[in-house]
Amino acid sequence: MSALTDSMNTIHSLEEMAEAKTIIHRLHPMVKLVTTFLYIILVVSFDPYNVTGLVVFLFYPVILMALAEIPYKPLLKRLLVALPFSFFAGISNIFYNQNLAFMLGNIPITYGVISFFSIMIKTVFTVMGVLILIATTPLPQISYQLLAIKVPKIIVEQIMLTYRYISVLLEQVSNMYTAYILRAPDAKGIKMKDMGIFFGQLLLKSFDRAENIYFAMKCRGYDGHYLYAKPDPIKKSDWIFMLSTCAMLILLRFFNLSQFIGSFL
Amino acid sequence: MIQFKDLSYSYPDGHAAIKKVNLEIKDGESIALVGANGAGKSSLFKLIVGISDIGEGSIEVDGIPVEKKTLKDIRRNVGMVFQNPDDQLFMTKVYDDVAFGPRNELLSEGEVETRVNQALEVLGITHLKDRMPHRLSGGEKRIIAIASVLSMEPNIILFDEPTSFLDPKARRNVMETLGKLEMTKIIATHDLDMALDICDRVIVLHHGSVFADGSVKEILLNEELLLNCHLELPLCMQRCKTCNA
Repeated sequence: MSALTDSMNTIHSLEEMAEAKTIIHRLHPMVKLVTTFLYIILVVSFDPYNVTGLVVFLFYPVILMALAEIPYKPLLKRLLVALPFSFFAGISNIFYNQNLAFMLGNIPITYGVISFFSIMIKTVFTVMGVLILIATTPLPQISYQLLAIKVPKIIVEQIMLTYRYISVLLEQVSNMYTAYILRAPDAKGIKMKDMGIFFGQLLLKSFDRAENIYFAMKCRGYDGHYLYAKPDPIKKSDWIFMLSTCAMLILLRFFNLSQFIGSFL
Repeated sequence: MIQFKDLSYSYPDGHAAIKKVNLEIKDGESIALVGANGAGKSSLFKLIVGISDIGEGSIEVDGIPVEKKTLKDIRRNVGMVFQNPDDQLFMTKVYDDVAFGPRNELLSEGEVETRVNQALEVLGITHLKDRMPHRLSGGEKRIIAIASVLSMEPNIILFDEPTSFLDPKARRNVMETLGKLEMTKIIATHDLDMALDICDRVIVLHHGSVFADGSVKEILLNEELLLNCHLELPLCMQRCKTCNA
């Protein structure tokens, strides 16, 4: 269960990071949102076989993490959660597309393998982009900006409350698991026959807790508009950051820097 | 002032939780709402702040009826401290949790800061301002939950079991905190010793109806009445089990 406690702490630590005052944290939230969106769109738009062009996009999260003084460990931990999904989505490509792309020494590299790596890299980059946004911008500010760009309120609320309830769910799992294991000391986990009841109860209890939290928020005036998170107007430095970063990202998308550097070798 | 007129409410499964309640709560009163588990205390609170929809009858807070279109005003006027502080505290810092209500009122950040500082100061917990709520003790969380409501400057505060699950020192601390608050207080509790200490009126709910309503002494010294409602005399009024004194 220490893994669950770790996960809870990671969630809280990401939000704590957003309270820092580095150059990236001080940027206007809209600027961070726009650059993150653009980054994700450009990364996803890459041809599945163009890994060399894609790899260069690592510069964005690396530079941002350095400037925002975000430690790598908690971010990478959260990143690992997303990887299995892409892994299983991408692994089928290896079997279905066995056309030879090139030989790496004696090892044949198929298009399937390339597209598998492409999917994995895209996942890593996009998830990192989002995590960096969360680690540098308080959640109410992100919500306010999403509403400002006309994302429907219901979707923004879903995203924000889901994020809030992750820790509620983990806490509930932790409590129930502890109660279970104390009464089944020989079990190495939840027995298959109890799994259905366990998760059913977990769902009901989490639903109850989530409802109470929502009520407590409503009682203190929460209406889902996050108007209090309205930031100061965008400054000149914000514009410079946004335009230069967007220009750089677009340039890297349509100009293969890796190939260009390779041509000199 | 809160007025309940013929108030009734049933759970979605049809079970009646509140039956024909008629009450009047005046400004500044400190009321203990007592009753066995399932007597309807929490349901009554939920109806006052509009979390549950009124079935029949009405509730008026300072002349404003509790209904969908008035909920904003009602919730500005009536604060509620939940039984489990973990339901109430969810921000990363105590400051932000206490500031949550004032920020939703769209006050300027300066005003928010003043409200937060005032609330923390009244409760003597300024030193916890930058702490993370989920790493605090149960007693500290309870006080912060009160601060998070106090910062909204409500005229009425509803407390749902404020002393449950607390050690004696934390319980005493919460009681002293409640005693300091001058606004109208309605405290749903099983802790009759606390009621004896800080309340001036007691309302006994039994099976969703008002079974008795009177001064603290009238109600809390009436053993028969309390036993009928699955309650018992406050511990300080009971005979010593060792010497029977």
